[in-house]
Amino acid sequence: MTKAGDWQSYKRVLLPPVKDLHHLDVYRAGGGYEALRAVLSDWKPDEVTEEVKRSGLRGRGGAGFPTGLKWSFMPPVKPNVPRYLCCNADESEPGTFKDRQLMEYNPHLMFEGILIAGYAMSLKACYLYVRGEFANWITLLQDELSKLYDAKLAGSNILGTGFSMDIIMHKGAGAYICGEETSLMESLEGKRAYPRIKPPFPAQSGIWGYPTTINNVETLACAPLIISRGGDWFAGVGANKHPGPVLYGISGHVNRPGVYEYPTGMLITDLLDIAGGIRGNKKLKALVPGGASVPVLRADMIDGVTMDVESLHEAGSMMGTAGMLFLDEDTDMVAFLRRVARFYHHESCGQCTPCREGTGWMENLITRIDDGEGNLRDLDLLLDLCDQMEGRTVCALADAAAWPVRNTIKRFRGDFERRCRPSAWAVNA
Amino acid sequence: MADFIRNPVVALPDSNPEAHFSEEELVFTPEEKAKIAEYVTQYPTPDGAVMWVLWLAQEKFGFLPPEVMRLVATELSLPYAQVYGVATFYTQYYKEKKGTYVLDVCTCFSCQFCGGYDTLAYLEEKLGIMRGHTTPCGRFTLREAECLGACGSAPMMQVSNGPYAYNLTPEKIDALVDAMEAGQPLPFISVTLPQDEDEMGGNRRTDAEAVERYAVPPVAKRTQ
Repeated sequence: MTKAGDWQSYKRVLLPPVKDLHHLDVYRAGGGYEALRAVLSDWKPDEVTEEVKRSGLRGRGGAGFPTGLKWSFMPPVKPNVPRYLCCNADESEPGTFKDRQLMEYNPHLMFEGILIAGYAMSLKACYLYVRGEFANWITLLQDELSKLYDAKLAGSNILGTGFSMDIIMHKGAGAYICGEETSLMESLEGKRAYPRIKPPFPAQSGIWGYPTTINNVETLACAPLIISRGGDWFAGVGANKHPGPVLYGISGHVNRPGVYEYPTGMLITDLLDIAGGIRGNKKLKALVPGGASVPVLRADMIDGVTMDVESLHEAGSMMGTAGMLFLDEDTDMVAFLRRVARFYHHESCGQCTPCREGTGWMENLITRIDDGEGNLRDLDLLLDLCDQMEGRTVCALADAAAWPVRNTIKRFRGDFERRCRPSAWAVNA
Repeated sequence: MADFIRNPVVALPDSNPEAHFSEEELVFTPEEKAKIAEYVTQYPTPDGAVMWVLWLAQEKFGFLPPEVMRLVATELSLPYAQVYGVATFYTQYYKEKKGTYVLDVCTCFSCQFCGGYDTLAYLEEKLGIMRGHTTPCGRFTLREAECLGACGSAPMMQVSNGPYAYNLTPEKIDALVDAMEAGQPLPFISVTLPQDEDEMGGNRRTDAEAVERYAVPPVAKRTQ
């Protein structure tokens, strides 16, 4: 028995098999917005936060921070100080495509989650920050949102209970950095999206200096499930230190890529089987378990590893966004790393020198190795560069750029050494 | 050193660019002004509406030359420098004139190993332009994009900041380019989840304009 339990008979809850679930009336017919009604009429705000804490829900946006704890960081309510929620739908981590599917197929679960979070933290409004590339999905969401307002499920006096909250759409314009919470706030304020130094944390001083909480789409979509089925039910799904249903976005060299909903704690090998195995009967070479910034795993490192923070940490990687990229035996890891480094070079916002310059040098060095002109020394230079970048910048983008470089070189060193020219000077002499 | 001074590394903005639009063209209609006023009310300060208004201006004018940014700044009573700063930070705001159709081909790593660069090379050859350029007829601009968030349907591209096209093959690209040349609108495609296929026998959205499935990705020949 794996941590995921009896996953073969798992019934989907984030994306239950109901036709046209994106329509408000279909969603309501299936018991939608009943969790919100229950919360607004019978629960105290603190009780909602406590229930989310009990559920053990961790953020699904990459960092995996406990959501209930994050909600409890909001300061006590003061008169005339508005408080905000930002729903982070700026899904730009390479390898991740789950939030887009959730917003397309079950947007009201997210909206209900937003409103429940709004009640729990006594918020004035939620800004739904969707990346600009999702223009079509923004239109779809706006349609559903206007229906929500018409049905008095958003805006003032929701369901006649006196609770008021607005949901406001914000359209990004193509910047990976906006997925970082403080950068997202700067972007919302109509500035260049340069991350802010923490502290002060968003709960103390967020958008326009007001208390703010930022949660991922999938995280908020879990809130109605926790309310309607209970925090204990949620805590019992999947791995106990990292429970709940999760959307696995599987891509790369597999026969059946796509977004799959299963509990956390799934064996990686099981997920590979679900996705139809590696294309063309090839062997697996490498796996990126949670988006570009998490360390890559070699095929021989995944036996018995499950998709939850604990097990992946032991294996030397991270859960990230659960966007899993499988790569087959023909993959050129140098080319892979070159593209990853290029991504970070392009997306570095340019605020901190170690990141702005470091990501560029990383790309240059890896390009040199990929072109067959690198020296063995370059590998150690790259690792040294990682040390110089990690933890020396305002946000975690430099760390996110350094981790894959460090770990890909460490775990596939042979691939890199074969591409380098023998050094003119003795290495480690 | 002298070279460095003569050729600065950073391309400096043209301080006195030739205007693309005349004074008469540079106005928002009353409907657009109403829309802008609506955006402004959604934020505690007018600054927040900058991104929406830049989107609106880009839809109206096609791209954002300095005089359009100035118009946005005046409309929102913001410093020009702030609007310029925002417009130049984000890749989806076009700072120079683009083709009628901007083809953003994703080449980030999932697409890289599933034929993203093959798609890009095929389009380069088909349109006769290099990535980053516009065809002489002004119809197509070809760009290499960072992750567009459709990794399971690689290779894919986005057309003019709008619809996505998934699981591209040479035949599919030919058909798409033909449709664009004929001026046909591209549909919004819903991609069926694998579990929906098993449990519901197809896509869950009965109102979907067009439906596709996640497919076995092709073998990539190029990786850069």
